[in-house]
Amino acid sequence: MARVVILGAGISGHTAALHLKRRLKRAHEVIVVSPNADWNWIPSNIWVGVGRMTTQQVTFPLRPIYRRKGIDFRQARAAAIRPEGDGDSDSGSVDIAYTDPVRLGEEERLTYDFLINATGPKLNFAATPGLGPDGNSLSVCTAKHAEQTAAAFDKVVEALQRGERQTLVVGVGHGACTCEGAAFEYTFNVENELRARGVRELADVVYLTNEYDLGDFGVGGMSFAQNGFVTSSKMWTESLFRERNVRAILQAHVERVDPGVIHYEQLDGTKGSLEFDFAMLLPPFRGADLKAYDRQGGDITADLFAPNGFLKVDADYAAKPFEDWKAEDWPRTYQCPLYRNVFGVGIAFAPPHPISRPRSSPDGTVISPAPPRTGMPSGVMGRVVAHSIADRIERGETAPLQTASMASMGAACIASAGAGMRTGSAAAMTMYPIVPDTARFPVSGRSLKETTGEIGLGAHWTKLLLHYLFIYKAKGRPGWFLIPE
Amino acid sequence: MDDAARSIAEAPLPTRRTLRARSSLPFQVLRFVAFNIRMLRMVKKGHH
Ligand SMILES: Cc1cc2nc3c(=O)[nH]c(=O)nc-3n(C[C@H](O)[C@H](O)[C@H](O)COP(=O)(O)OP(=O)(O)OC[C@H]3O[C@@H](n4cnc5c(N)ncnc54)[C@H](O)[C@@H]3O)c2cc1C
Repeated sequence: MARVVILGAGISGHTAALHLKRRLKRAHEVIVVSPNADWNWIPSNIWVGVGRMTTQQVTFPLRPIYRRKGIDFRQARAAAIRPEGDGDSDSGSVDIAYTDPVRLGEEERLTYDFLINATGPKLNFAATPGLGPDGNSLSVCTAKHAEQTAAAFDKVVEALQRGERQTLVVGVGHGACTCEGAAFEYTFNVENELRARGVRELADVVYLTNEYDLGDFGVGGMSFAQNGFVTSSKMWTESLFRERNVRAILQAHVERVDPGVIHYEQLDGTKGSLEFDFAMLLPPFRGADLKAYDRQGGDITADLFAPNGFLKVDADYAAKPFEDWKAEDWPRTYQCPLYRNVFGVGIAFAPPHPISRPRSSPDGTVISPAPPRTGMPSGVMGRVVAHSIADRIERGETAPLQTASMASMGAACIASAGAGMRTGSAAAMTMYPIVPDTARFPVSGRSLKETTGEIGLGAHWTKLLLHYLFIYKAKGRPGWFLIPE
Repeated sequence: MDDAARSIAEAPLPTRRTLRARSSLPFQVLRFVAFNIRMLRMVKKGHH
């Protein structure tokens, strides 16, 4: 009986767990280690953050699902990987510390035959002084954060109702952030909600970002074919800002968030500050900061993980200038090159380099987006690695690994810009591939046919449909595997 | 006016007709179907 241990029960880890168990049935053991008892459909947190959904609508408890599926769930946090085993055992193992209230504080060493690191991002609020819910700004990265943010938003609405001017800032809280799409989405939800509550007039809505241009989204922007022209996501995004009267501060690295004031530096070296009444700023991400040890207990963390804490996989990590970046630099199998039974999926794998052109200020501050790894590719990676592992367990070491490179995978990003079955709206984008491949698509690195952007009520319905579909799928309900990632 | 503000001020503003189309039920039903087909096509193309 083989044992597969999955660290993290987010989009990629949970997808991997469901697929693995479906393939391996009761013949093999699947263990999921994750610190939270609940699963969260993170993309819908932006609706929690404006009070349009509750935490209960975007989360559900994992235990009953894992019990039903025969997956062993340990509510715990992984701290270290021992890929060569330790003095007592030759099997690779992970050190975990229970967060389960029943076993709180207990530690355990779990052996594995295969390991999937799907620990997602560590929300690195500490990178910017004063950033985050424990500091002076808000977040929607977890359902709990989003709930707190909704309460703060209600207070701002009350102030507006009293006739007081309010400044609402939404964006990213560091020059090296990713996930600009989520910040953009939350901006327009806030703007929409202010209108819905009849208080838009006295509100100044500002989008603050590290992107060079609007519409960059950490993927270097997109080109669309529209009405017989090739247009840019920049113009498309700016149009929405103009229509909705939202201001933008671009190319910004937030240096510090004081109570009511954001201090930032811009790419040209200028420093600015912005007073706010409400600020939702996403944190930069880093890896879960797992440690790694060899058989003798020597620290091999730097061999397995990149300096940003993400797991190194089958990517080309050689440093090279932007002009030399290639689609082939991106990983295909997500297998760790040093230990072939270890894989890294979703946000947890180390990307070889950004997608947007890297830029820094005269002082050397990096102000350009890190590459996004959104829900769709994260889920696909989880599934592909699950099948690779199941193949190896069933057919042996020589079974070929399945592949899913972000340079041959598309993504759909639906940025909601307002809720309501009749009044909702969303900006829906598709891009193919995620990582531009100029060898295949010389004009813009992406297929002009498959890379599209449109705004409308229909896109909002799609976003809502995905909310229900993915929660249905994550609950492992009948036919769940027919719903693509 | 800074560069970002200037660029936004010069961006194309949707006409009333475009705005109406974005919220028109029959038209959006068609767009909904079209977008989902496109998404499925992409899923099939890239996910192997
Ligand atoms: C506000 C917001 C909105 C978003 N909207 C969209 C969207 O509309 N569309 C889209 O495609 N993507 C969206 N994303 C991105 C999407 O949420 C991520 O791509 C996706 O969650 C990544 O999946 P993952 O499995 O890598 O990480 P996660 O889903 O974050 O899962 C990581 C898991 O690992 C666990 N974990 C952490 N540390 C440890 C540890 N030490 N040991 C064990 N487990 C650990 C966590 O508790 C969690 O369960 C959004 C993100 C945010 C923040």
